[in-house]
Amino acid sequence: MRIDETHRKWFIGSLAVLMIAVAIYVPYSRTAPQGANGGTVAGLTYGSIAFAFMLFAGLLGARKMVPVWRVGRAQAWMRGHLWLGFLSFPLILFHSGFRFGVGLTTVLMWLLVVVFVSGIVGAILQHFMPRLTRQRIPLETVYEQIGRVRSQLVVEAQTVVEEASAALAGSVSQATEQQRAASASAGTIGGLTVASGLQVDEGASDQLQEFFRREMQPYIAQGGPMGMALADRNRSQSMFQQLRLLLPPNLHPSVDDLESICEEKRELDQQTQYHRILHGWLLVHIPVSYALLLLGAVHAVMALRY
Amino acid sequence: MPRRVRTTKNLAKRMDLQYFKQAHPLRSWRLWLSILIPAVAVVWFAAQRASSQKIYSSGPLSAAHSVLGKQCNVCHVTTLGGFRAKVSDDACSKCHDAPAHHADKAIFTVSCGSCHVEHRGSPRLASTEDASCTQCHANLLTRGGNPQYVRVVKGFDKQHPEFAALRPDARDPGQVKLNHYVHLRPHLAGPTGPVQMDCQDCHRLTAMDGTWPYGMPQPVPQPRPSVGGMNAELKHERSQDYMVPILYVNQCAGCHVKDLQFDKRFDQAAPHDKPEVVQAFLVQKYNDYFASHPGALSEAVAPERILPGTMKLPLPVPHTRQEWIDQQVMLGDRLLFDKGCKLCHVMIEGSPLPTVAKSSILARWFLHAEFSHDSHRLLTCTACHDRTPESRQTADILLPRIVSCRSCHEDRGPRHDAASGRCSECHSYHDWAKERPTKGTFTIPQLRAATSR
Repeated sequence: MRIDETHRKWFIGSLAVLMIAVAIYVPYSRTAPQGANGGTVAGLTYGSIAFAFMLFAGLLGARKMVPVWRVGRAQAWMRGHLWLGFLSFPLILFHSGFRFGVGLTTVLMWLLVVVFVSGIVGAILQHFMPRLTRQRIPLETVYEQIGRVRSQLVVEAQTVVEEASAALAGSVSQATEQQRAASASAGTIGGLTVASGLQVDEGASDQLQEFFRREMQPYIAQGGPMGMALADRNRSQSMFQQLRLLLPPNLHPSVDDLESICEEKRELDQQTQYHRILHGWLLVHIPVSYALLLLGAVHAVMALRY
Repeated sequence: MPRRVRTTKNLAKRMDLQYFKQAHPLRSWRLWLSILIPAVAVVWFAAQRASSQKIYSSGPLSAAHSVLGKQCNVCHVTTLGGFRAKVSDDACSKCHDAPAHHADKAIFTVSCGSCHVEHRGSPRLASTEDASCTQCHANLLTRGGNPQYVRVVKGFDKQHPEFAALRPDARDPGQVKLNHYVHLRPHLAGPTGPVQMDCQDCHRLTAMDGTWPYGMPQPVPQPRPSVGGMNAELKHERSQDYMVPILYVNQCAGCHVKDLQFDKRFDQAAPHDKPEVVQAFLVQKYNDYFASHPGALSEAVAPERILPGTMKLPLPVPHTRQEWIDQQVMLGDRLLFDKGCKLCHVMIEGSPLPTVAKSSILARWFLHAEFSHDSHRLLTCTACHDRTPESRQTADILLPRIVSCRSCHEDRGPRHDAASGRCSECHSYHDWAKERPTKGTFTIPQLRAATSR
């Protein structure tokens, strides 16, 4: 969620609550006989409000699980989650008098720190990453379908290669002297060495298939770059340029198609990477939040007891 | 062969429209971690709870209570059907049963824990924060309207009044004449020749060597300092806190015994005692002398025994044994009561004998505060009692001024590389003189079994 002008009311409200909390805390901490702590009326008030905010923030998960609930717009819940969750951290610090305590309270404080920091990181990522993703990956696909799309790309590339090979077998003699000479200067294409200009046409089909089998198919089939040459855009362009020299001009559109497939695969990898960054923090934030709420409830009950 | 074209429409055709029904690794991880991490937290909590209730502790116990680290129920007595286990004053009073600051609790009643906050790991729980005191003493209100003490005290270096003994209306109740300036002069006449006296020749802590350089060969055990029962208020008074009271036999007799010499015919000086005792001593001495010296009637009176202006001259000639004894005793009385005793004491005229004004030398000047000389032993005496070497008057109160204490003690001392200036450094809230005895309830195995779990 982008933090834009639509957050103005939440921002002002949260700032006001924070200022009030600070304004109360400063004289309270200076005049309380034993300093600020969770056992005083003010300390308990801070703690109760902060825990209520945390509970509300935790309810976002339930709200998402049942989207048909008519309990306010999802955006409002998200903004509440963000701003009230943010407020809960300073309020808990005021509750504890900036002490981490021992035993359960120490664990709770560290859980809160983890949740708070991961939440801040998440908010920053959610603010910047979607725009970055749109800029760098114009044709974004559904993340969960990337594996399926990759499989389709393999099939598509294989079809292109087979069609090109078939066309190549019937038109070897049509290669021009100029093409042969140019291909003679070729060196290595993705690890395949072109032996000589004269062998280009005769071996082009084999080399195209070898290139596909050894370089392109593994790269497209697997997720991530895995250190392969085609994962690098510059090296990929170079390799396909060599391929164009190897193949007759009428097959260059096929090479373009193969290069486009590799480009799409690179975008899929990049999207995967961005998606993991954009959502990976939730693997920390959500589970630790549940643990925090659980132990926080125990702490609240035991604080009433002791 | 058509060129490959990427459009959103083409991309959409690749989608499996039921994709959202399938579990995705990231979501699966999130789900499992959301179960696993709270479960780990619960298991950790249960394991901690099984070993002790320390998991609930808000902090380490104070040093004195640390032995009760796992004996929560000693202080946290359950009430309200077993749920509520707040520490009550009764739990504290089981071991520390002393009346509060005011006997009339209606004036000011606070729970023990509001001042003595546990679970802070403090080395000394009795050392309370100043705010505990200043919540009242920063603006002391009393039912009568006029507080007995200073109304506004906000801390040691913030609006703390000068020590009571040094305020303008204060006076030294002492009735023994002493000139510190003279006593600290060089080449003072000592028992065996010129001496340079030092503060510690007369002012010492009890724990020091029992002999005195200017006392009698056999020192007299010193009583504990006592000022109108005030010392009894302070539970933590230690043997090395205060100077031992001044006694003639220990601190003065070495030099001043000659002032009690009353007759050259006797080596023995008069006793340092009440006039009645002194006179009885003289009567006995002269009776004994007359018995052993039948020709005493014809002995002339030594001129140094006649104090001009204190007796009618010429002295009558004694004709009988009794007349002679009466005259000798009269001369001794005059020499002692009008000269020897008056050197140090205030003599009150009376008949037939004068009386000696009560010495009233204060052993403690801070009537509502504790002080330990031993804690300040790294300082020279005059570092604090700086006016002493120049003091010529008995009435001079040589107590250090509060500004002298503030040179080292600050409210937030330890945080400013200074000595603590907390109220509790000097003042005691409870009247420990009225502490009631408590009865222990633990055996050592019970205590050890609990702490070694």
